[in-house]
Amino acid sequence: MRQSVLARTLRALAIVALVCWSLGPIVIGLITSLSSQSDIQAVPARWLPKDANLDAYRSLLSGTGANSRAGGTVTESGTFARAMINSATITFMSTIAVLAVSIMCAYAFTRLRFRMSSVVFWGVVSTMIVPVFAVVVTLFRLMADAHLIDTKIGLVAVFIATLTPLATWLFHNHIRDMPGEPEEAALIDGCTRWQAFTRVVVPQMRSGIAAVSAILMLAVWGEFLIPLLLSSTRNAKPVTVVITEFIGKYSTNYPLLAAAGMLALLPPAIVALALNRHIRGMLSGAT
Amino acid sequence: MGQIADPTIDQTRKEDSRLGRRMIAPAAIVTAALVIYPLALGFKTSLQSGGATFGNEVRWVGLRNYADVLKTSKAFDAAVHSLEYVAMAVVLEIILGLGVAVVLHRVFRGRGVVLAILILPWALPSVVSGLLWRRVFDPDSGLLNAVLLRIHLIKEPHVWLAGEASARGFVTLVHVWGVLPLVSLIFVAALQSIPDEVYSASAVDGATPIRQFRYITLPLLRPAIAVALTVGTVLSIGIFDEIYVLNGTALNTRSVLMQVYNTTFVDADFAHGTALAFMLAGVTACIGGISVLFLRRSAT
Repeated sequence: MRQSVLARTLRALAIVALVCWSLGPIVIGLITSLSSQSDIQAVPARWLPKDANLDAYRSLLSGTGANSRAGGTVTESGTFARAMINSATITFMSTIAVLAVSIMCAYAFTRLRFRMSSVVFWGVVSTMIVPVFAVVVTLFRLMADAHLIDTKIGLVAVFIATLTPLATWLFHNHIRDMPGEPEEAALIDGCTRWQAFTRVVVPQMRSGIAAVSAILMLAVWGEFLIPLLLSSTRNAKPVTVVITEFIGKYSTNYPLLAAAGMLALLPPAIVALALNRHIRGMLSGAT
Repeated sequence: MGQIADPTIDQTRKEDSRLGRRMIAPAAIVTAALVIYPLALGFKTSLQSGGATFGNEVRWVGLRNYADVLKTSKAFDAAVHSLEYVAMAVVLEIILGLGVAVVLHRVFRGRGVVLAILILPWALPSVVSGLLWRRVFDPDSGLLNAVLLRIHLIKEPHVWLAGEASARGFVTLVHVWGVLPLVSLIFVAALQSIPDEVYSASAVDGATPIRQFRYITLPLLRPAIAVALTVGTVLSIGIFDEIYVLNGTALNTRSVLMQVYNTTFVDADFAHGTALAFMLAGVTACIGGISVLFLRRSAT
């Protein structure tokens, strides 16, 4: 079916507008991070920096050696880098753990027959409807009693609990739609059930694992409320929490804040772009 | 009976059931210990009087904490704000999401790239989205004021986040920026499941594109709209990060969850904070529960 010139033009305009809307704030952030304080404060506002530089990034990462160009404020050395490392560690550990726990749970319910399987499975999955904030206050007190406040392990434990239900549900759908023949063949060839699971089923789930990993990584990296309550020093504070503290401390130093935002959005942006096909596939399967 | 007992099949069954229990155990233990147990404990706290924080004498007060919270004007205002957030966000997400899906449904060169870019705002931490948009709304060096001053729509810089309606409107805008990709992709996937023949057949019968959208697309999208409605509501009812970054805990933008945070951790009042959290969770769980039941029915 051919479209009229008018319809085609409108569609093209809509697509351009969509791209601008999606990328606009990110581009503004990138430009701001390359500006100096005088560009920001210029009247009338200067859209592009006079001479773009990486000073904001430098003072963000090196701290004490900072110069006055970025506004004269200096971050304590290493705070931000440490927060990025914390975020990466917590994200990596939580994702691996949730994958292991939820793949096993989903597989057991979907492919094995045993007593109480459906009660336990639906018990786990239905906790999806419990919003995090309903338990986070109590978790704060339990964690305090167990001396797990401000530890990465404590945060990882909470992420495992809050994300396992969703991951289990997604994997259940994925396994259900997967052909069972390869597994049957492995069993007939003399594999035990566990061997068939680890050597045949898990490799067969590659695309599902890619999609769910992406969703998990984005969720953990971006989470703010849980670490805001459960971390208090540079021991465990992730980048989301440190950024909000920077906003309080350097509220008008936009280049520094924008540089922090750019570095914090880089890992999730890479994950989303690299795995966007898998993520979209999982979304269309889930509805 | 009739069947001959096959010892190997029997053996496999027993092995399967032992393995199954072991494989499901970690998930069961983790959710029981870190979701269900704290949930029960929290509910107990919400039924007891104040002292839970400082180890004072603990008394059972029934639902009085709930009644107390409902009487405070801050909680009431926060509830009104949250309703505004949900209503504005959901309406914008559904309308814009449908529009985006219709535009991106047709195949064109570079569609994959546009879809990949579309996902980005959803992938970013909401704290970072808030940070990026702060620069737009800033009263002194903000781009919004700069543009409006330039085209003489306003005479002097406006403090957008200090107002009432404008502040909540902009918070919603930032929230929608992050959620729209998800809603759009739900609709894109749903549009793909409608066979093209339906459209060509109706075009032969003389249906215009607008009538096709009204009488074919919309009815067939009803399940997707239901999903998007649920997702949009659940995400906006728990709005917190964007507000915290844009406007702190200021009263004019405070949501219910932010009021929970303030009561519990700023006023150190665990009992009332937990009671409010449970009321909010109740509403969220009802909405989520309906959709889980819906999913479960479609699963079996």
